[in-house]
Amino acid sequence: MNPQAAIHPTEVDGIPTLFAYATGPVRAGLVFRVGVADETLGRAGITHLVEHLALHRQGLADYHFNGATKAAFTHFHVEGAEHEVVAYLQGVCASLTDLPMERLETEKEILRTEESRRDVGPLPLWRYGAQGYGLVSYPEWGVRNLGPDDVRAWAATWFTRGNAVLWVAGERLPAGLSLRLPAGARHPMPAVTSALPGGPAYFSDGTGGVLLDAVVTDTTAARLYTGVLERELSRALRQEGGYSYTAATDYASRRDGFALVTAFADALPAKQDAVLGGFVDVLAGLQVGRIGQADLEAVRTRADGGLTAPDAAVRRLPGAAEDLLAGRPVRGLDELRSELWAVTPGHLHAVALEAAGTALMQVPSGHTADWAGYTAAPTGSSYTVAGRRFPSVRGDGTALVVGDDGISVTAREKNGTESAATVLYRACAAMLSWPDGGRRLVGTDGLVIEVEPGLYGVDAHTMAALDAAVPHHAVVWLPPRQQRPAPRAAAAPGGEAETGAGTSARPAPARRTGRQTAAVVVFGILGGFFAFLALLFTVFGAGDPETSTGEWAAIAGFLWGVAALLAWPAVRILRRTRRV
Amino acid sequence: MSHASASSPPPPDFEIASAFPEVTWLRQAATARDWVSIRQYLDGLPRETNRGFAVGVLAEVDGVEGWMREILAAAPDDVLALTVLGSREVRIGWEIRTAAPAKQVSREQFAGLHAHLRQAEQLLIRATALDPSSDAAWAERLTTAMGLQLGQNEARRRYDRLAAHHPHHFSAQGRLLQQLCPKWGGSWEAAHAFARECLLGAPEGALSGGLVAEVHMEHWLALRGREREEYLRQGHVRAELVEAAERSALHPGFRRDYGWVVVQGYFAALFSLTGDLARAAACFRALGNLASQYPWADLGGDAAAAYVKHRDAALARG
Repeated sequence: MNPQAAIHPTEVDGIPTLFAYATGPVRAGLVFRVGVADETLGRAGITHLVEHLALHRQGLADYHFNGATKAAFTHFHVEGAEHEVVAYLQGVCASLTDLPMERLETEKEILRTEESRRDVGPLPLWRYGAQGYGLVSYPEWGVRNLGPDDVRAWAATWFTRGNAVLWVAGERLPAGLSLRLPAGARHPMPAVTSALPGGPAYFSDGTGGVLLDAVVTDTTAARLYTGVLERELSRALRQEGGYSYTAATDYASRRDGFALVTAFADALPAKQDAVLGGFVDVLAGLQVGRIGQADLEAVRTRADGGLTAPDAAVRRLPGAAEDLLAGRPVRGLDELRSELWAVTPGHLHAVALEAAGTALMQVPSGHTADWAGYTAAPTGSSYTVAGRRFPSVRGDGTALVVGDDGISVTAREKNGTESAATVLYRACAAMLSWPDGGRRLVGTDGLVIEVEPGLYGVDAHTMAALDAAVPHHAVVWLPPRQQRPAPRAAAAPGGEAETGAGTSARPAPARRTGRQTAAVVVFGILGGFFAFLALLFTVFGAGDPETSTGEWAAIAGFLWGVAALLAWPAVRILRRTRRV
Repeated sequence: MSHASASSPPPPDFEIASAFPEVTWLRQAATARDWVSIRQYLDGLPRETNRGFAVGVLAEVDGVEGWMREILAAAPDDVLALTVLGSREVRIGWEIRTAAPAKQVSREQFAGLHAHLRQAEQLLIRATALDPSSDAAWAERLTTAMGLQLGQNEARRRYDRLAAHHPHHFSAQGRLLQQLCPKWGGSWEAAHAFARECLLGAPEGALSGGLVAEVHMEHWLALRGREREEYLRQGHVRAELVEAAERSALHPGFRRDYGWVVVQGYFAALFSLTGDLARAAACFRALGNLASQYPWADLGGDAAAAYVKHRDAALARG
């Protein structure tokens, strides 16, 4: 075995350290066993905030450094000359021990800016709920209300010597490296929660294509399965059918013995049905064991190339550090290679079956996957709380029920049945609170209830009781909002979170009624016609010798105004409803 | 025309076994639960044979579902058993729905239909996954796609998967044609174009030309009153019918494959409706007294009466 291609365990100031030999600039990372999945929704973002504060004093260093807060791990990464790496790591440790609290409000502001760029997608939310690993789907609502003491306490609990692993790639361990961190315990991996009914599940949302993930045992065979799945999806959806432009998969170890296989195929709006059907058939083929030896060999050869590359050990270091923090053995490259070459199509078949049992599929709006054996993921509760009932003042059949243990919203469906969503106070992950009295409760299962006191005629006394009943740590105070959301005629009125679509929990969209659709068409056509007239007049009217410039401007303005007035109702309906 | 009564033709025979005697044998074997013989029979058919026909016969046998489940409990990868059971589930679902117009079907009946279609679909997904060249399973998945409203592109994808192995599969083409009609979310342009594509793609004498007759019949049925007469009076409609008939039902090499009675019947009916009684008579003569439920059930409440009426008129004049 090539000693340069190995990961050597050692220790720096009581911190377990993984070293791999490499020439060139030194690369190093300090990794902590803490991440978003350790937070609660009401305090979501606190780890990210600590990471930002810890890096502030690095200022504008010349060398390359970065920080990353993931679901269960936080990384501080650096690349540079030996003394720069030493300065960085010691600076991070010093900052973690004494966070620059004078920067607190500024860093909060920066996080809010970063927030709008984050796009994790809704699968974790549907799989895990509004807790644990599901929190990566949510905005960092907690950041706003955190005080210096909260942040200090979080850092002292999680960013400790006992909860850290260092990795270094270089010619040697940098001289003079000393890491001072407070003592603390190694934390176990986050609990894995579930918001799914068990067995394969689906939900309908968006227009992009088909997205699926599945939890499988973290093995070499599962990695190869992911590669074979990508080849099959590309072949069926891209090459044969031409229904998709992109078909891709990803494999991500959760480091707790399990991993997530994610698969995605995009679709033109007109081809969504065929993409969904082809996707289902590709999975079915693998599930019955139709696995091509040639596909396996292609994927295996590529994987082997990664394990035999000169920098293979170095590239494995961050993941190996996570493994060590999770209490899993750090595997050698030779061991991984021999495992790789032992995988047979039979192993991949077993992975396919395991993945089939835990699959969660996002299908485009207007489509279902129940026909293929997937159960609809819950968008409501099977029960309501007992308590005082507040019917909607709009008379749309919805009602709010405020009880001692929780709160429910009920709605009458088109087919006459009653649907409900319930959030129990003890299972309230967060309650967003606006100064105008509006509240949004998010249950740990991901269900959302909007409480607009004016729309349900809820009195101040009841609202005060509600505020008092929700656990303190779940309350999120928000600044005044520009627009109060209109209530949706649905059981679980989620709507868009203030930070944008895709982050809201299990919204049950308001269905567009036939009359609304007709109105969209009529106003849309009329609006379009007048816009066309206005455009014609604006472009050609100016040159008309019989019209003065003032008249031209007045008539053009009038035509554009009419077009806008006509189009507005259509736009309003389109924005407030969804075609289901 | 006094001599017409001299050789009064026998009443129409709607029994499928009269055209294809192996149907009787298949039914007996199914009743006797002789799986080995059925398997051997199907395995021994030439590759291009429409196996969906035999599967359809088996799926009509009452109680066959229990037997198929027993077979699958012991051999979960038996593609034929998966396909027969899937096809049977479709028929059970349709019995719950009944053939009544959608407005007269209750919510519970639709729920029952869809539950059986979903079961069928999942069995058939497995069947096509195990054997992507199974024409019978893909053809049945065109029916489930239609009933579950999975979409036009998905139906076409399924047909394309089947056609990759069986390019001129008449019963699959007929099902996709139904899907492409406006009543199932398609358009007349798409339906006519597909029928023509099938006609021109198939060798002369094949059944596929029958789709041109079927799509004109569907189009005609969707019209009312005067529009109907005007539709069939159009020169291009008549020309297309003649062209299609001469490539199929009236071609000297017309193949009496599964479905030929239906194709011959469609042309007989349409030539009767357009007043081309000579060609109608030729079709009726080729049929003897054989008949299929469609198109005749669409031409009156009593399929047999419609058949006799048009046949007698054609043979009297043509």
